[in-house]
Amino acid sequence: MIVTYNWLKEFVDFDASPEELCHRLTMAGLEVDSLKELGAGFESVIVARLDSVEPHPDADRLTLCEVFTGTETVGVVCGATNHKAGDLVVLAQPGTVLPGNFKIKKSKIRGQVSHGMLCSEKELGIVEESAGIMILPQELPVGQPVFDVMGWRDFQIEIGLTPNRPDCLSVIGVAREVAALYGKELKLPSIELHEVAEQISTCAEVTIKDLQACPRYAARMIRGVKIGPSPDWMVRRLEAVGMRSINNIVDVTNYVMMELGHPLHAFDFRLVEEGRIVVKCAQEGDRFSTLDGQEHQLTAEDLMICDGQKPVALAGVMGGLNSEVQEDTETILLEAAYFNPVSVRRTSKRHSLHTESSHRFERGADVDMVPVALGRAASLMAALGGGEVLNGVLDVYPEPLSKKEIVLQLGSVNKILDLPLDRAAVQKCLESIGLEVAVQDAAEGSFIVSVPSFRPDLERDIDLIEEVARLHGYDKIPVTMPLGVVDAALPPRHQRLQKKLRDMLVATGFSEAINYSFIAQNAVAKIGLPATDPRCTQVPIVNPLSEEQAVMRTTLVPSLLETVAGNLNYRSTDLRLFELRPVFLLDENEEVQERLSLVAVMTGRREPDGWAQSGALMDFYDLKGVVESILTGFGIEEVLFDATRTQPYLHTGKSCALVTESGYLLGSLGEVHPRTLSDYDIDQAVYLLDLDAEQLLQHSAPGLSFKSLSRFPDVSRDTALLLDTDIRAAQVLDILKKIKSKSVEELILFDMYTGAGIPEGKKSLGIRIRYRDMTKTLTEDEVGKAHDRMISTLCEKLAAEIR
Amino acid sequence: MKERLQQLQEDSLAALHSAASIKELQTVKVRILGKKGSLTDIMKGMRDLAPDERPVIGSLVNTLKDECEKVFTERLTQLEEDEISVRLVRETIDVTLPGRRTVTGSLHPVTLVTDEIVDIFSRLGFSVEEGPEIEKDFYNFEALNIPRDHPARDMQDTFYINDDLVLRTHTSPVQIRTMLKQPPPVRIIAPGTVYRRDSDLTHSPMFHQIEGFLVDELVTFGDLKGVLTHFLNEYFGADLQVRFRPSFFPFTEPSAEVDIACVICGGKGCRVCGGTGWLEILGCGMIDPAVFDAVNYDTHKYSGFAFGMGLERIAMLKYGVNDLRLFFENDIRFLKQFS
Repeated sequence: MIVTYNWLKEFVDFDASPEELCHRLTMAGLEVDSLKELGAGFESVIVARLDSVEPHPDADRLTLCEVFTGTETVGVVCGATNHKAGDLVVLAQPGTVLPGNFKIKKSKIRGQVSHGMLCSEKELGIVEESAGIMILPQELPVGQPVFDVMGWRDFQIEIGLTPNRPDCLSVIGVAREVAALYGKELKLPSIELHEVAEQISTCAEVTIKDLQACPRYAARMIRGVKIGPSPDWMVRRLEAVGMRSINNIVDVTNYVMMELGHPLHAFDFRLVEEGRIVVKCAQEGDRFSTLDGQEHQLTAEDLMICDGQKPVALAGVMGGLNSEVQEDTETILLEAAYFNPVSVRRTSKRHSLHTESSHRFERGADVDMVPVALGRAASLMAALGGGEVLNGVLDVYPEPLSKKEIVLQLGSVNKILDLPLDRAAVQKCLESIGLEVAVQDAAEGSFIVSVPSFRPDLERDIDLIEEVARLHGYDKIPVTMPLGVVDAALPPRHQRLQKKLRDMLVATGFSEAINYSFIAQNAVAKIGLPATDPRCTQVPIVNPLSEEQAVMRTTLVPSLLETVAGNLNYRSTDLRLFELRPVFLLDENEEVQERLSLVAVMTGRREPDGWAQSGALMDFYDLKGVVESILTGFGIEEVLFDATRTQPYLHTGKSCALVTESGYLLGSLGEVHPRTLSDYDIDQAVYLLDLDAEQLLQHSAPGLSFKSLSRFPDVSRDTALLLDTDIRAAQVLDILKKIKSKSVEELILFDMYTGAGIPEGKKSLGIRIRYRDMTKTLTEDEVGKAHDRMISTLCEKLAAEIR
Repeated sequence: MKERLQQLQEDSLAALHSAASIKELQTVKVRILGKKGSLTDIMKGMRDLAPDERPVIGSLVNTLKDECEKVFTERLTQLEEDEISVRLVRETIDVTLPGRRTVTGSLHPVTLVTDEIVDIFSRLGFSVEEGPEIEKDFYNFEALNIPRDHPARDMQDTFYINDDLVLRTHTSPVQIRTMLKQPPPVRIIAPGTVYRRDSDLTHSPMFHQIEGFLVDELVTFGDLKGVLTHFLNEYFGADLQVRFRPSFFPFTEPSAEVDIACVICGGKGCRVCGGTGWLEILGCGMIDPAVFDAVNYDTHKYSGFAFGMGLERIAMLKYGVNDLRLFFENDIRFLKQFS
């Protein structure tokens, strides 16, 4: 909502500067978004007198003028034709910047020096259209800034209104607040209405068929108007509050709407068939064209203003093309009504038609303002359009809306606000904004507050308490700490583990990423998931912003791959990233399940680049090491790295599933499939872990437990074994682990080698076993025997040979 | 004999002094004091001397032996020290070469800010609750006093899954979910991801909020001011100016916006604060009785307050990030700045 400083002053006599006023409004809940001075920087645009006007010696269409600025006479070249010697005109002196960043400079035009420019109203930005330069009234003082002497200097105040304050969608509403804040009287606009003898009821008729949607409909008639442009003051005002001038009649409806807050509509009465207005719902499927030229298909829920034959307006939203005021319109049927907020809102939404009118009705217009706005507009139309107002109002309001009364306890006010206000202070606050306050019980300190129709937002005592709080000032409420017992429990285990998982990843060099939860519908196909995969059953958004953000993601993989690709574009090639966020899956009951998922990716060099680093690239085992650390951190010991199960987006030879001892699939890890990489334009190997974080947290061991330390020395034995290449390391380790020997402390695979010196089809594995006993120092003999047993069992079971 | 000893003394001491390395010094020592050393020779020849000469020569020999050993020890210490000095010089490295760093990771700034805020409120007895991101219309709107067909719905452009499910537009539904399962007193803080159908330089369709609320007997607007002022002073600094001004949220009444003195210009007015010297930082208010009705809390017995703030905005102010889009681009050069 935009109001101007001067317009407010018409209704309240206050002294505050525009800046101070804006501060007060903001602190009272009418947040001022911007304050703009109209005419700022126009001090060098002055009233000047034309001493002579001669034709330009070298240009037919230009004149050369001698212009008196109050201190000197200068030459100005002018292209207009409507000026003569002796006129007072507007001179923009050199240095002025006119709207549109038009800089005025001293310049030569066809050989003649021009000391500035004579301006039209349009060039000053006051009106949208004007013909010729502006000729000012003779009594103005020459040399003075024209914005000052014309009273054009004003301040545009833009208020970001909250939806609960429809009363402030008008200058008078904001003025009421200003009056309350400064303890002044609110002056209502005077309405001088001269009605002719003829009764409106003799030529027009109003019927409401749906009182629920339209409790009140009133009309006046103005006859013999002449459609034309509005006077400058009105055009300026409308433009100052962000509206465009159309013609004198339409402008009056808009002006009164901005002034009083009540939307009005003017019909060309010629086009209202049978001279009847009928307010009723539309026929389902009917078509109707609104003023803006849009055609709408109506539903039976759209409330329409109809004449004897057809709809003429979409009630409370916009008038019809078929009955709008035209250049030759002479008789106006002026509508002011009160429509049900929900009905208007639904119609407005249904037809995607949000107007100044629907904006007000859906927030709640003032039903009592109906006759006032009609009278104000009719008198202005008669004055500006030269017409006459017929006697009386067709005012159909069979069931007046009841006035709300709220009981308010002084004790409640002070209890909620922690203030010691007395009865008089509360009463004064409420009365200052136009509420009627009666004391109900002086001893108890209770009031009966009667709420005027312009405040539909006030319905309960808490609403009144808020009014008291904001008018009294939030800054006057004390700053205290709540009483009560504090139960400062630790965060639940789930939250703590989640934090631990994040911290572990950060400690191993990963940076946390956050991607949008919505992705392209085909992203799952891009990573190769078959249509039967549950992750291809995605939850779509009905109204996405784009195709790229159309469905809720069922996997974090596509987002992370895009993140990698995006970083590679900036030549950041060493990356470790993870995302720990929910995915959105549909269960068998079609219910959405949000499941915490972890995807981590790593690519590029193992160590930061530098003089002392090898520059070696990461491989599968770097990722596996991270996974193993995480599992250890969560106390999950027995996990199968199952190479027979993998994901379509992973390299079949360098990936595996992560399965718990009890058979739960925790996730997958591996090198990303070369086809997937090329689909994402990634040209280096990427290792990816996709973990069901929910499962991981659930399988986490409850806590740590201590194992005793041995105080005796250890002995290590290394053995190199020749094995068939297809024997997996896990087989070797499993066999060794199954041999229960209480002196084995640690098993380490310290070497894996194929190549020169090793026969084709074989590989060499270096196994180190560290022995230590809890109770004694092991002898050479004991260690030797134990080691022999370990190695010979291996050789036997895997047909291995000692190298 | 005396002359011979004299000569030996001169030669020996000169040889010990001039030995250039520990090895040479050892060799010299062996040559003099070893089993076949020259001084040992003389000592072996003592028995051939006349008995009256023996004590004299014996004493001279002992003196010479002591002196040689003393010089040897001095010289050895000297040479060892020289050798260490040479080694230290030889082993000198360029300490200005960069160190061998390990790869360091980082938390997302939104996570950092969330953790910090949760910490502050935890110390005031608030515990963390979560809620789903795909939320029922009832929790996201209806129960929060935002009925269908109410203009307040326009305050938040909504992504719809269907008629009854939305991407939650705020973390406030956690209030409803918590109060429905738990009677007062409650002190809850609820961080989370929220969605609004809006995307431009200053709006992201997905962002993060943190919601907090407290319900108990006798909770006042003063308590709301107290808790939030405490939080803002903990987070942004003890001398930070804070102001509360009236606003509107359907689920609180009275409602307030909280402004802090601009952390960029200190309140003088700059581009970030639009010249006002104030920054809008959070929305809050006393929980509306309509919300208590929706969760069956006794409005006569209990009162409470709620607040919510945008975490990206807080992070932008805290770390001076000037572009909202950076939070979701995941450029490693951005993320690493928060390690």
